[in-house]
Amino acid sequence: MTDKLSREEVLHVAHLARININDAEIEKYRVQLKELLDEVDKIKDVTNYDKDMMITPVKEEIKMRPDVEKDTISFSLVRDNIPHTSGNLIEVPVMIHE
Amino acid sequence: MSKYLDLSITEINEKLKNKEISPLDLVMESFDRIEQNKELNAFITLNKEQAIKDAKELEMAEVDNLLFGIPIAIKDNIVTKDLRTTCASKMLANFVPIYNASVVEKIKNKHMIIIGKTNMDEFAMGSTSQTSYFKAPHNPWNLKRIAGGSSGGSAVAVSSRMTPLALGSDTGGSIRQPASYTGIVGMKPTYGRVSRYGLIAFASSLDQIGPMTRNVYDNALLLNAIVGKDEHDLTSVDKEDEDFTRFMKQDIKGMKIAIPNYFVSEIVDKEIVEKVHDVASLLEKEGVQVDYVDLPYLDKSVTLYQIIAMGEASSNLARFDGIRYGYSYDKCQNLDDLYLKSRQEGFGDEVKRRIMVGSYLLSGENAKTYYDKALMIRDDICKSFAKCFAKYDMIIGPTTTTVAYNLGEDMDNPLKAFLDDVLVIPVNMAGLPGMNIPVGFSRDHMPIGLHIIGNYFEEAKMYQLASRLEEILKLSLQPNYREGGIKDE
Repeated sequence: MTDKLSREEVLHVAHLARININDAEIEKYRVQLKELLDEVDKIKDVTNYDKDMMITPVKEEIKMRPDVEKDTISFSLVRDNIPHTSGNLIEVPVMIHE
Repeated sequence: MSKYLDLSITEINEKLKNKEISPLDLVMESFDRIEQNKELNAFITLNKEQAIKDAKELEMAEVDNLLFGIPIAIKDNIVTKDLRTTCASKMLANFVPIYNASVVEKIKNKHMIIIGKTNMDEFAMGSTSQTSYFKAPHNPWNLKRIAGGSSGGSAVAVSSRMTPLALGSDTGGSIRQPASYTGIVGMKPTYGRVSRYGLIAFASSLDQIGPMTRNVYDNALLLNAIVGKDEHDLTSVDKEDEDFTRFMKQDIKGMKIAIPNYFVSEIVDKEIVEKVHDVASLLEKEGVQVDYVDLPYLDKSVTLYQIIAMGEASSNLARFDGIRYGYSYDKCQNLDDLYLKSRQEGFGDEVKRRIMVGSYLLSGENAKTYYDKALMIRDDICKSFAKCFAKYDMIIGPTTTTVAYNLGEDMDNPLKAFLDDVLVIPVNMAGLPGMNIPVGFSRDHMPIGLHIIGNYFEEAKMYQLASRLEEILKLSLQPNYREGGIKDE
């Protein structure tokens, strides 16, 4: 068994995570991600287990809150944390090219 | 410098009621202590101006509860309106929330005063607080050692007596482990006890907010203040009001305690195991039945935790896209570039590793192979705990396998952060309450903590046991203070 992921495998995982990585990072993650993935692979060794699944530790019935209209947060407050705005619009890079 | 913050909450409350001191005295003392010990790097953001204003507003108010006017530190992944909340990340280095977390509202309702936001591992991912974008806090028992994590700053603030109270959060031991390393009391309540609304999500099925304090009584008081059903968090549980201090003076004779053999096995340092055996002997003298038991699946918890925590983290942190808030790469050519480069530059190494592995674990068929299977084995862990609690009142063991180690040690090992928490992670898997209390010191005078695990919603019983042990042990838990600073080796 190899002790490193291939460059392609690292790039695939980074793409899934939507994270750009440079060459130095690729080399580092080839080793580090392999160590982590080997560790999580140990779950494959567990064969004797029930098929009941635990989604949440909360045993009580989860109830939705009443569907009552309430004041919402004003956009002027939200806008202060938006990196790029244009008036009351959120500015993003061009998505459609000629 | 005054020393009111060395007093217990009850003693401070008496002085406030008698008008011997005012909330402003406490707030100013807190900021003095932070300033004099700033090399500990416990805080990311201080709330000085507002805290002084809040304290002045309380001058003429009636002291209506035990927590009135008490300075408190808040972990920097709990949002505070108009007070910067960074999650110790470059991604949120300039983020100023527009609402308060539900726990913050509860704290304000009790007239506690928020002193500042504490240092932590970036997005609570780590066990040393060294993944913080704002550099690691230092352990007040030895400045060269880690404070633990991820709630390292909160632990330091309480241990070094900058504030009597702090809030932390615990996804895989992040309250209990730093509490153990710094010699304080830390409680992770039952999952659902405390609203997670306003806690910046790491792994939603594991995260829980809890109190960090110098002693057991203060801890129970703070838990009293923050529990309760919240319509903003569907997983918060509706329980009748209870006073978590109510069993504290009651005898512990007749209690039944289990110590899993795994918790005292060769994975734990010998002197820590010895300390647990010493505690077991003390309890037996008190009339407590202590049995060593086998508890299946404990050794599988770290693997399950990695799958569940990294999977949920990758999903939760997908919201950081450089568009709506947080760090944004501003030289991008297109939308993909914006996502990819904002996340490359905004997140630190540990966070990126976990998002990448988590994304892989949840992709396509892997979700069944890893995540679904982990949830099935997680259910088995719960059943295993349930069988134990059918026979025993509580489970005890060490909180950590070693005492706090040196800053910078083993930084490149991606597994280290998980293995540090091997003894505390099973509690998050099951959603049970767990707490750390200090029970002694190592030969190099670093605190050793005892981990108490209770059945669901039995925090009051855990405080009963903890307070009795605290009373018997009577440890001196003040780090090496000297006027004007903290003594190094």
